[in-house]
Amino acid sequence: MKIRRTTHPDALVSILKQALSPDRVRNDAAERSLFSNDASIFKGGASGPVCFPVSTAEVQAITRIALDHGRAIVPRGAGTGLSGGAIPLGEPIVVSTMKMNKILEVDLVHRIAWVEPGVVNLDLTKTLMPLGFHFAPDPSSQQSCTIGGNVANNSGGPHCLAYGVTSQHVVALDVVLPNGELVHLGGLDAEPEGYDLRGAYVGGEGTLGIATRIAVRLTPNPQAVQTLLLAFNSVEDAANTVSAVIASGIVPAAMEVMDQLITQAVENYVNAGYPTDAAAVLLAEVDGLSSGVAINAERIAAIGREHGAVSVRVASNDEERARLWKGRKTAFGAVAQIAPAYYLHDTVVPRSQLAGVLRRVYEIGAEYHLTIVNVFHAGDGNLHPLILFDPRENGVLERVHAAASDIVEVSLSVGGVLSGEHGIGIEKRDHMELMFSFDDLDHQRRLRSAFDPLCRSNPGKVLPSPHSCADIQSLSRIPEGVWG
Amino acid sequence: MTLNLDPDELASCVQCGLCLPHCPTFRVSGDESMSPRGRIALMRSVEDGAPITEEVKRSFETCVQCRGCETACPSGVKFGHLMEKTREALAKAHEITPSWQRFALGALDHPGLLSAGSKALAVAQRVKIVPKRLGVPRIPLRSPAMESSAGSVAGDVYLFTGCVMDVWQRDVHRDVQYVLERAGFGVIPTTNASCCGALHTHAGLGDRSRKMARHVIETLDGAIPILVDSAGCGAAMKEYGSLLGTDEAKAFGSRVFDVAEWLVANPGTLEAPGVLDLRVAVQDPCHLRHVQRVHLATRDLLRPFVRELVELDDEGLCCGAGGSYSALEPELAGQIRDRKVAAIDRANPDVVASANPGCSMHLQAAGVKSVHPLSLLAQALRG
Amino acid sequence: MSDPTLAAFCDLVGSHDPVAVAGGKTRFGLGGSLREGTRLVSAPEGILRHLPEEMTVQVRAGTSVRDLHEALAEKGQRTALPERGGSVGGALAVGENDLHVLGRGRVRESLLQVRYVSADGRLVSGGGPTVKNVTGFDIPRLMVGSLGTLGLIAEVMVRTNPIPPRSIWLTARDVDPFAVRDSLVAASAVLFDGRGTYVQLEGQVGDVVAEQALLATLGRFEEVAGPPPLPLHRWSLTPAQLSDEVCMAGAGDFVASIGVGTVFASLPQPRATVSPALIALTERVKTAFDPTGRLSPGRDVLQGRP
Ligand SMILES: Cc1cc2nc3c(=O)[nH]c(=O)nc-3n(C[C@H](O)[C@H](O)[C@H](O)COP(=O)(O)OP(=O)(O)OC[C@H]3O[C@@H](n4cnc5c(N)ncnc54)[C@H](O)[C@@H]3O)c2cc1C
Ligand code: SF4
Ligand code: SF4
Repeated sequence: MKIRRTTHPDALVSILKQALSPDRVRNDAAERSLFSNDASIFKGGASGPVCFPVSTAEVQAITRIALDHGRAIVPRGAGTGLSGGAIPLGEPIVVSTMKMNKILEVDLVHRIAWVEPGVVNLDLTKTLMPLGFHFAPDPSSQQSCTIGGNVANNSGGPHCLAYGVTSQHVVALDVVLPNGELVHLGGLDAEPEGYDLRGAYVGGEGTLGIATRIAVRLTPNPQAVQTLLLAFNSVEDAANTVSAVIASGIVPAAMEVMDQLITQAVENYVNAGYPTDAAAVLLAEVDGLSSGVAINAERIAAIGREHGAVSVRVASNDEERARLWKGRKTAFGAVAQIAPAYYLHDTVVPRSQLAGVLRRVYEIGAEYHLTIVNVFHAGDGNLHPLILFDPRENGVLERVHAAASDIVEVSLSVGGVLSGEHGIGIEKRDHMELMFSFDDLDHQRRLRSAFDPLCRSNPGKVLPSPHSCADIQSLSRIPEGVWG
Repeated sequence: MTLNLDPDELASCVQCGLCLPHCPTFRVSGDESMSPRGRIALMRSVEDGAPITEEVKRSFETCVQCRGCETACPSGVKFGHLMEKTREALAKAHEITPSWQRFALGALDHPGLLSAGSKALAVAQRVKIVPKRLGVPRIPLRSPAMESSAGSVAGDVYLFTGCVMDVWQRDVHRDVQYVLERAGFGVIPTTNASCCGALHTHAGLGDRSRKMARHVIETLDGAIPILVDSAGCGAAMKEYGSLLGTDEAKAFGSRVFDVAEWLVANPGTLEAPGVLDLRVAVQDPCHLRHVQRVHLATRDLLRPFVRELVELDDEGLCCGAGGSYSALEPELAGQIRDRKVAAIDRANPDVVASANPGCSMHLQAAGVKSVHPLSLLAQALRG
Repeated sequence: MSDPTLAAFCDLVGSHDPVAVAGGKTRFGLGGSLREGTRLVSAPEGILRHLPEEMTVQVRAGTSVRDLHEALAEKGQRTALPERGGSVGGALAVGENDLHVLGRGRVRESLLQVRYVSADGRLVSGGGPTVKNVTGFDIPRLMVGSLGTLGLIAEVMVRTNPIPPRSIWLTARDVDPFAVRDSLVAASAVLFDGRGTYVQLEGQVGDVVAEQALLATLGRFEEVAGPPPLPLHRWSLTPAQLSDEVCMAGAGDFVASIGVGTVFASLPQPRATVSPALIALTERVKTAFDPTGRLSPGRDVLQGRP
């Protein structure tokens, strides 16, 4: 992608420094190289100046300067994204929200909190816990990732099975549009007027402007919780149990499955008492009022046994529960014991198809001579195959990507979708045509262009060309009337 | 230039960012170049031929070497080792650690020099020309030497007295000796083992620190357990094995214990007339928590002897002291400390227990009442 | 396009003249009346696929919500759509939540996938068939509550929920409805009409019993058949504004949904002002999807509630 600059880069930097402060605009090669990556395996980003605004007004100022200078902007939170959403393409101005990290207000009457986008997910929950609440979306990266990133990626986590993904927990937000205007989307009232632009914004992956203030819903901590660990002789049995539980009318708080290799690695790392001889384990949690919790836990155990569970263990106290969860949440990292690098994939399939798709995933691994392990949000059919590899092996990345593409195709062929929580970014941009028709994508582009007619916010993401607006990108002056 | 890093160690970072919130410099700056992930990425780029610019040096120099990232990293990246190697390569090339720093560190393994300097400092303090913000404790003008009590039936132990601490905080050593003796042990203060070399390792002066490590190992030959009451020294000595790469050094490392760690495993006969009527917050020195990983022992040891133990809610985030860090990077160290002080305020204790003299001093300079946990214990035992 | 029914609906909508969908016409006047000469069409009907283990149902937009719920009940499930005599497409296009929103969830979150006919007569699909999905922009959210101004809904995939084993309505006088809301966990609705508080409890039998016992400590609750009759107009306030006399002034007779902010009132809600930036963005969205303004002309989503 080509961007035409209208100003010498140094002039841009000094204008930015005037608008913010000299120490909050960085333009050295080291800094820019670091902000050219995120947690994904994608390379080739190229960042322009990196800004650290502290207020909405500063974000507006940066946006307007970017507009004047024909530069795009890329919002960035903690950079834990796995689809390359925060990777800057074509030397845009990177806007880091890390210095906008205040919890502005906790409002127990409305059961919401107003936060700045750079607030770390787990920090928010830790602040809320003593008040009897928490922020329900709990991605495995929650210790690091930001609410702004969660909103942009509509992130999920194990407990989103019962509580819903981020979109359900965002009540209102202030967004600086790529034209520098500030809009307030959504509202604290029951049914805010107009289009649900709040809903349309969430999941926009930074292409619809920068969220600078977010009202998130507070979820009351459950009265009672029970966590069960079921062991199976096959991954299929575990998957079928999950399907049967949902069909029986129970919606557990979470249902997570890990296969044998990953369970062994996890057990090695946290010593939580996971059975290492089982082909798969299912971690199921039910919460709510105590009577319902007890009944549902019993029923899940029974359904598990009907479907071949060889053992069922109920965590006897909070400590045991915490250890089991720690194992699940650090599973990706524990993989380091098996291979130096992994490509964490993310698709969703109908729950009833889980068993069959998993079988194919292992076959695909074998076909490409790659080890694939699985740890996933089984409750909502959200697969996370980890393709393991050693980056120093010649040509291995091609095989990894080919295997990933095959997994995408298998998932879509049974009625699944491209991504359950990591987003499209640049990772799956070119797979979008497998799921959507030309007209479907055209309408997504229309939504995008209503927010960002000139494609100034995070260009090159989500939509494949010709729906992406790479061409408009080179415009340096705004045609009359574009902003209405 | 090359940093001579182990490619496997470097490759083990998968850029997931899970370490970010556990890094004190990232917490206060939000800046990737001040994060573990960023520092590793820059190490990689230098190894791939990128030039050592001022910014690259800044990134490495601002690292506190607290190793909070190491315990946070699920992929097991050996950050401490990578950073020590990086600094050693840079110091060799005279990119970092200017000569005045080398000179100042030189004093640490010259007891005579150190004691002369400290005497001068003590006098200067008396005439009030040492700014308070430096956090230097009030140094005694004269302090009687410590005496050995070897020959106990329960067994003898070395008490490692180190360099700066021996001069500046001999009271802490005395408290530790008292507690150990009450527990039934004979205590041999290591008056001539001198400095552990931790600060030299951190500054990238590997040759010197290895020399000092060899000296310590030679001096403390034998099988007697070596107890350390400074978390930073203890961590360094436990890691002599990887520093020197010899079996002898490894064996030595396994004889080293933090005092609290030792006392929890070997409680002996500790009994106090009553509990201290204090609400005590435990501040974990990074090198106790993230390197030695025995920070829970401090709690187990203190619990029976104080009214209340409270935890800080910052999951052991560094306080910014970092050996000589607070002197070299006062601004960052101050910002990092502000977070710690805020956490302490939230816990609202009567006193903070910190098992590292550097942390204690750094906190005291911000007005925090901080003491060594063994001093608290001694106070309880004395009644 | 493989599905002949949808193809026929596309042809019916066409691509030139002003057109709107007539569903059950229960909320037809929302957003203002249609411009004269607007052609009315009906969306296709029929339940295509209910998958209880996926907790989804695929249904044509013209199907009545009541029929849908009857069919789902056979497998012990339901949806968040309100059952007020209208169609599935209408309920989604209007986007108003059911009375039991606390227990059953919001309408906007129940729509997983939507197929609609665009202003130029093409069939467009947004979202995906699975319960979890972040593939691309969230077109379904945009469609919910859009009053047929962005596209005419033809077919949808909607999330289903298990019907809880027990559901009861209780009422009491002289209790603080806000305290009731704060102390309950399993309430699907807490309503207050100025004197009486109405509570709907749903869940496992034991849970309902426990919550009922809790209620007994707050006041003398008696079981009733259902909610009180609801006045005609619908207000949208914040939960806190419900206890604010200034905000509630002008509602006339009312039934307020505590913890939610919806007020059913005998008088209409005063118009609130909307920021120029939001109006501009709204207009850009409308123009992007319907450049010639032929879909449900005369309706304005920022027009307020009747
Ligand atoms: C080990 C590991 C585990 C993970 N587990 C999960 C999981 O369980 N569930 C899950 O959903 N994800 C998971 N992720 C992915 C990732 O953590 C989430 O997508 C997270 O929400 C990203 O947040 P971030 O702050 O790091 O955002 P970044 O990566 O910095 O940015 C992500 C996207 O958000 C945009 N963005 C950031 N801030 C703003 C803003 N203020 N306004 C507008 N756009 C913005 C960026 O432009 C980019 O497109 C995991 C990642 C890792 C490394
Ligand atoms: S050091 Fe560890 S935690 Fe930090 S980015 Fe690298 S792999 Fe992740
Ligand atoms: S050692 Fe401490 S300061 Fe250095 S990168 Fe790791 S966490 Fe940050």
